[in-house]
Amino acid sequence: MEQSGTSALLQGAVQDLASDVVSALRGGDHVRMSGIGTGAVEEIEGSLDLAAVRVLGADLLLPHVLFPAPPDPEALAVFRKTVEAFPPRADAAPTVKWSHWAMSRTLRRLDTPLTGAQGPPGAPFEDEGGEPDASWLDEAAWQALTHQLAVLAPLAVPGEDCGVARAARRRPVDVARGFVRAVRRRDWQQAAGAGRWLTLLDGVPDALGLEAGLDFVELMGGNDPRVALQVQAARVMRTAGALV
Amino acid sequence: MPSVDKALEDLTGVRTDLEAALDPAEPDGVFRDSRECAALALLSADTKLLLSPPTPRPKKG
Repeated sequence: MEQSGTSALLQGAVQDLASDVVSALRGGDHVRMSGIGTGAVEEIEGSLDLAAVRVLGADLLLPHVLFPAPPDPEALAVFRKTVEAFPPRADAAPTVKWSHWAMSRTLRRLDTPLTGAQGPPGAPFEDEGGEPDASWLDEAAWQALTHQLAVLAPLAVPGEDCGVARAARRRPVDVARGFVRAVRRRDWQQAAGAGRWLTLLDGVPDALGLEAGLDFVELMGGNDPRVALQVQAARVMRTAGALV
Repeated sequence: MPSVDKALEDLTGVRTDLEAALDPAEPDGVFRDSRECAALALLSADTKLLLSPPTPRPKKG
């Protein structure tokens, strides 16, 4: 598919950031954000870099959610700026709203609350009323469910209790079917995202062979840093034995 | 002010691409070939795996 110039640049910037996150997940270190310019946070507002952070979403700080190492203050500042710069429109698609919610929640975990965020300081983040609607997932066919969950893979973190995670927990077999379908369609990004969710779900059929499946996804699609990120996240969470 | 127009155009382009990236349509599927199936079989030698090759279809005629 032909991409616009901006789109290609954006995808490249997202991949650079994803590579940084993969390195941090492998090394248990800070996310270095080598693809982001060295200027002050204010200088990159509206830039492609900030948009790339928005696309990668909460996963930018995933190493700091999974490991005890605190995030680099500069990375946290860029992350916060991105959350503030790209609020979802009222008519935005559910995945847009949820990805923004995931970033806000991560910020709440690692930093102080956003101005105007719901819930008192120190609360687990927005209260139930602050969550976007997730009912569309309950009505989705298993193929669409898997696609949407893969897009929202940054929400697949241990201990997450939100509408999307609850929807995934209710349908582990459907997600497993979606994983197989994604592999057979060579949609490595979807397969990796679904595999990350499956790592956290109870009731996944043993016959799926998830671990070997994730190895295969990495073998075939691991050159794409966004695929590698999901596979590495799944491995780290699997090692920790975490369930949502 | 061409530079302002250009900047606005760039920003609009970024926002359009951003929306598309955050709510992507599912790409068309491309099914695996037999070499990849063989690689998967090697990787999963000790496990039961649902990732089997596509079911052969009967030939017409």
